[in-house]
Amino acid sequence: MPWMNKVSADRVKQEFKEVEVEHTEHTTNLHVKKEKLLELLSFLKNREGYRHFIDFSCIDFPDRKERFQGVYILYNPDENERVIVKTWAKDGKLPSLQNLWACAKWAEREAYDMFGVEFEGHENLRRMFMWEGYPYFPLRKDFPLEGIPEVELPSLTELMHGRTEPPSHDYELLHTRVATLEDLERTEKARLQKKAQLVLNWGPLHPGTHGTIWFLFDLDGENVVQCDVILGQLHRGMEKIAENLHYFQFLPYTDRMDYISAICNELAYVSAVEKLLGVDVPEKARYIRTMFAELQRINSHLLWLGTGALDLGALTVFLYAFREREKIMDIIEGNAGFRLTSAFLSIGGVHYDLAEGTLDVVKAFVKDFPQRLKEYHQLLTRNRIWLRRTKDVGVITREDVFNYGLTGPVARGSGVPYDIRKLEPYAAYDEVEFDVPVGEVGDVYDRYLVRMEEMVQSLRIVEQCVSKLEKLPKSAPYINREHPAVMAPKEEVFKDLEDMVKNFRIVVHGEKAPKGEVYVSGENPRGELGFYIYSTGDSKPYRLRIRSGALYNLSIFPKLIEGRTIADAIALLGSLDPVVGETDR
Amino acid sequence: MTELLVSLLITVIKVLVVLGVFLGVGAYLTWFERKLAGHIQARLGPKLVGPFGLLQPLADGLKLLTKESIVPANADRIVYYLAVVLAVAPALMLFAVIPFGPSFKLFGVEVKPIVADVNIAVLLVFAFGSLLVYGTIFSGWASNSKYAFIGSLRKAAVIIGYEVVLGFSVLGVILLAGTMSTTGIVQAQIERGVWFIVYQPIAFVLYLFCMLAESGRVPFDIQEAEAELVTGYNVEYGGMRFGVFPLAEWYLNVMALSAIAVVLFLGGWSGPHIFGPLSPYLWFLIKMFGLVFFVLWLHWTLPRFQAKDITEIGWKVMLPLAILNVVITAFVYYFV
Repeated sequence: MPWMNKVSADRVKQEFKEVEVEHTEHTTNLHVKKEKLLELLSFLKNREGYRHFIDFSCIDFPDRKERFQGVYILYNPDENERVIVKTWAKDGKLPSLQNLWACAKWAEREAYDMFGVEFEGHENLRRMFMWEGYPYFPLRKDFPLEGIPEVELPSLTELMHGRTEPPSHDYELLHTRVATLEDLERTEKARLQKKAQLVLNWGPLHPGTHGTIWFLFDLDGENVVQCDVILGQLHRGMEKIAENLHYFQFLPYTDRMDYISAICNELAYVSAVEKLLGVDVPEKARYIRTMFAELQRINSHLLWLGTGALDLGALTVFLYAFREREKIMDIIEGNAGFRLTSAFLSIGGVHYDLAEGTLDVVKAFVKDFPQRLKEYHQLLTRNRIWLRRTKDVGVITREDVFNYGLTGPVARGSGVPYDIRKLEPYAAYDEVEFDVPVGEVGDVYDRYLVRMEEMVQSLRIVEQCVSKLEKLPKSAPYINREHPAVMAPKEEVFKDLEDMVKNFRIVVHGEKAPKGEVYVSGENPRGELGFYIYSTGDSKPYRLRIRSGALYNLSIFPKLIEGRTIADAIALLGSLDPVVGETDR
Repeated sequence: MTELLVSLLITVIKVLVVLGVFLGVGAYLTWFERKLAGHIQARLGPKLVGPFGLLQPLADGLKLLTKESIVPANADRIVYYLAVVLAVAPALMLFAVIPFGPSFKLFGVEVKPIVADVNIAVLLVFAFGSLLVYGTIFSGWASNSKYAFIGSLRKAAVIIGYEVVLGFSVLGVILLAGTMSTTGIVQAQIERGVWFIVYQPIAFVLYLFCMLAESGRVPFDIQEAEAELVTGYNVEYGGMRFGVFPLAEWYLNVMALSAIAVVLFLGGWSGPHIFGPLSPYLWFLIKMFGLVFFVLWLHWTLPRFQAKDITEIGWKVMLPLAILNVVITAFVYYFV
């Protein structure tokens, strides 16, 4: 995707004299003073067409006077251009963008939670992932990776039988703080002021939420008067972990974000790192990546279909969907060795060559799957009850798509053809043919139809990849061995001294990345998964920001559910399809 | 005196037979449902406990009976236990007015295969059907849980709407038969040689909907709605107390209401004599389980409605239809 063009940049420069335009190798950055930030952003939004909010986060530079730098990523849907706006937080404070983009509220809460940056004018500046009363800011550079041990957590034996000398277990008694029940209660109370009859806790463990999200519904009868979401039950501090790992080491962690579409996550991550390191990927690897990413997309959409239908009471669709999902799992397992969190891709290519017979199995699947899709359509698409539950429920307007930073099938359901695969092709997406289905109304039913059609399109891509891979010779390289940052395949390491030395070097020291920054995103089944990497020339990223599509898609949920029933909440949540591993990271 | 004793003895035997048979069948219906659901969903269903998994209900029952009994804190204990009783009792009482076959002579005594052949049998059916909802409401109220509470309120809203529709849909049959006695209704159909479903097709369809709503089956299973309410009204019950609710609602109630549908619309025990002396009973059971099968089939195929949609359909569509049906039936019956 191109970055801000020169004409626009000149216009900005004309309007704002003090704005500094910086063209780096991979991005275009506008540096602006904090006082002028709101003015510049509203100029970009209203006059230059940068309406779509992509991401916001902070970077911590402990050595500088103004310690935190805010990074805003915006997108212009008319020109298909991105821009990054950067500003320094004065006295640890930044202005809130809540009047420009509604989803900025969540992004700002996250920055407040992780960095302690305060946002002036924010209506509800609460912690995003950590509980109320947590005293630290984990993403600051002075917060140690292992946390601050201060709470004594004795073992059960010790509690029951008293302390023994010497201690019965050989471990540190002091641990990092964990949330107590009182903490959670305080968090809950702080989030929602009861206005109506009763507050229904939906979660943290609830079958309808597909994970550990915690919804609070203020109910009047069955109608939701107001709603808030408490996230963070699955927060693992992925971004903090990434800062402390070599680039290649972080790959398996991306699997654990959106664990339903692991290969798509990996693809987005390796695309970002390869761009930063300047690694070329051989043709075969690109096609293998594309094929598996699309299989994974079908897999993910099948899970969405099954659980979504299960939520609305259609019990049988669930198992029908899982039957096909199992076949895809087997294909992935046969190649990667794992079913769910596969770690199949590697920087510079894929981990293994195609297993023998893979293409035949995939071909059989491609042949069989349209019949199955027809079955799902027969069960649901024209079903009167299904229509009644999904039509005109949770209508998202095109304006809201931009305001809430919605991406993926949720954006496309509202008629916004935002698909990274088309707009900024990665892997082999520019060499295959496929269409981008869009909805008209933007209700739950449209999002359902969009996802169903996406499966058909994914199947088309898989088919083209298979025929391409069949033509390629068996000996074609599946990993770029020449690049110094690329690990040699396992079987070579055992045979070849040079490869062993190379791997040894990468594992121990890591490969230094050039200075600079990069924002690359992939089209995940749950929206745009972006990686913003800020490198200071080390073998570890200085800051790695993960832009989660699921988080931004979820941010519109409280607005949509107001005035509707809890039965609609389940249909709506199913259509937004968040995965907690990715929203919390 | 001896006559009284004999009739008392016969009644006790009849009660025991009905109780034994239908509680047993109710338990085995779980096996049948799981097997059926399995085959509908492209899997096998229970197959490990006993041949074809036939001992599965026993294993399930044993498991439920041996579970720890947990009553939630702050629960209203009396109502909490009363709810269990109120869930099962009306469902079983419904079987009292169902005639399973024609009367026959045994040792010179005339025996009617019905526990209570009263002339207000259909009214009793309505009464017990309405009582059934108290089990749900009490369980939701007493267990001090918001999920259970919302679930039971949903159910109450549905039952109120559908009891009315049920009453009006059955009224047409009562008009045609000229009696409220279930035996009388079956006799009327046999004498005319026509099942009332032919005269009252709309009423039959409405009755089927009401049956689904009363027994809380898909697409009307909003009081459970496991995705929203974590099985709703019975979420705070454990062990056999939990097991009783589905047994009563999903199995006993469905069977009883199907049996009544057979009586009202499908000619009761009438049918060609091809099974020898047991023919009427077999016909009755075949028709009844045909309807039960239909209910289970729907359950594993359709999505579920919303509470407000169900009541809306009930009041705005079904009730006018049912009333229209009664009025037309009355006019036609009077003038023709």
